Amino acid sequence: MFLAIKEMLHEKLRYSLIVALIFLVSYLLIILTGLATGLANLNKAAINEWDASSIVLNSDSEGRLQQSFLSQDEVASLPNNGTRISQYSTLVKSENGLKENAQLVALDSKSFIFKKLKITSGSKNIRNNAGVVSDKFKSDGFKIGDYLLVANSSLRIKITGFTPRATLSALPVVYISPDTIQSLNKGVTNAVVFKNTLNNSKIPKGTNQLSIGSFINKLPGYSAQQLTFNFMIGFLYIIILIVISIFLYILTVQKLPNLGVLKAQGVSTQYLVLSTLFQSFIMSVIGVIIAIILGEITAITLPSEVPIVIDKSNIIVTGIGIIIMSLLGALIPIRQIAKVDPYKIIGG
Amino acid sequence: MSNLIFDSVTKIFGEGSSKYVALENINFEAESGQLILVIGPSGSGKTTFLTIAGGLQTPTNGDVKINDSTINSLSKKQQTKLRLEKIGFVLQSYNLVPFLTVEEQFKFVDKLKNQNLTEQKMHELLSDLGLLELLKKYPNQLSGGQKQRVAIARALYTDPDYILADEPTAALDTDRSMKVIELLRDLAHKRNKIIIVVTHDLRLKDMADKVYQIIDGKMTILEK
Ligand SMILES: Nc1ncnc2c1ncn2[C@@H]1O[C@H](COP(=O)(O)OP(=O)(O)OP(=O)(O)O)[C@@H](O)[C@H]1O
Ligand SMILES: [Mg+2]
Repeated sequence: MFLAIKEMLHEKLRYSLIVALIFLVSYLLIILTGLATGLANLNKAAINEWDASSIVLNSDSEGRLQQSFLSQDEVASLPNNGTRISQYSTLVKSENGLKENAQLVALDSKSFIFKKLKITSGSKNIRNNAGVVSDKFKSDGFKIGDYLLVANSSLRIKITGFTPRATLSALPVVYISPDTIQSLNKGVTNAVVFKNTLNNSKIPKGTNQLSIGSFINKLPGYSAQQLTFNFMIGFLYIIILIVISIFLYILTVQKLPNLGVLKAQGVSTQYLVLSTLFQSFIMSVIGVIIAIILGEITAITLPSEVPIVIDKSNIIVTGIGIIIMSLLGALIPIRQIAKVDPYKIIGG
Repeated sequence: MSNLIFDSVTKIFGEGSSKYVALENINFEAESGQLILVIGPSGSGKTTFLTIAGGLQTPTNGDVKINDSTINSLSKKQQTKLRLEKIGFVLQSYNLVPFLTVEEQFKFVDKLKNQNLTEQKMHELLSDLGLLELLKKYPNQLSGGQKQRVAIARALYTDPDYILADEPTAALDTDRSMKVIELLRDLAHKRNKIIIVVTHDLRLKDMADKVYQIIDGKMTILEK
């Protein structure tokens, strides 16, 4: 790719401009996908940790945990390997004045979900008004042994352990026992979560089984948020495609006479096309790499309140996406190259 | 010995009422060691003739033969290959790749042909053409005459059997034009090439071994 490299080195300014554009759009893409992932995680991280496949809710609840109430009969007629969930959202305070909005989630300590919970520090104990809480509490200054005072109630929950990635609808989760939540919501069961998918015949009338995936999609605001992000991300891909096409098109049109003469001199169309693809590829790789490095730096320097998660799969998808767009962007210029007739240049 | 033959070649552009006969029943013959001039006014069909000779266009009727084999029935790909291996084009402008130094123009040819003979050959050629001191210069740092000489050197570098030149002197003053034509003539004689130069410049007539005239698509040989 002698010609391609020499040209880029000789026309540094032009090609750096394109690289800069690719970089800027890639950077924006990485940040946006990072935010989309981060916000999605805030909504659903706790549910992912459960590692379940289905959830049974009241049919009228539209998939909303807070609005779903299961009767004792309904719960009793479901298979007993499920985890019964009782939920209550509230404000909790520490004795020295720290405050946090939280999701209290009550479950049996013998349930599969509780058994699965990981602990980053402390112990996994929810007996006697003890709670295993999201490690967000830890980063906000709460410590093992601290008491959480539940607003508008005399309930005091003692923190015994911290668990990672425990957020639900953007709020940190406090796992407590069914006995503990009794005083707050009369111990109502909102849903039963299963490790496996139930046969429809086992679902009692008046209840509805959802896959965990569609339950997450029905979390308040979740789908709208993700749709917005996906829309912006999709748009950026289109923008980068158009920008690269235009730039390469202009560059190619400018050098058409030279390309025509090269063809007359026996340079094959294939060589010229590969040259252009190669340039496009190199530029996008450089742009993407700079964007990844800067994206990582940005993610590290941003305060932890900004929910940005730049993980490997995001980087790989974005990187490959941009590179594919750049190669597609070279298609119109390639058509120009294929079409240029050396005779027209010479005869012209 | 190589040769280039046009056997009753006709080139017609368009159809019906816009039909235009650019070349009419052309017979032409060139042999190694000759500098041949094709002279004619603007629009007479010179470039059409030259591009057909180089396989850039196909004749409507008749055959073009190189070393007794017909080239107009070759595929586009084969014609491109033929140009890379057997034909050197020298045009009025755009001959050189703007972002390559003189030296790199030659390296590029090496890459294309997958060869790396040839530092020595390049130096020999360049010193023959008085270009050695220009090795590191880009085309936009050269004069018109220097550019044309580099273009000729580049064309010769692949050691083609033919050099086809379309108005190679159009951008040059009389003095330089004469020099370039002299150079081409010497190359034809010394290196035993077929060199065909198309021009509307009648002053160059005396330099050639054979002169054809083309008027309104009809070609005649001019007796010297
Ligand atoms: N693609 C084409 N379609 C239609 N007519 C064409 C085409 N190419 C050339 N012609 C016509 O054929 C004639 C010969 O053209 P050509 O380019 O060979 O002239 P020329 O002798 O090289 O002229 P000049 O000295 O101005 O370069 C012209 O009248 C031109 O208009
Ligand atoms: Mg012409």
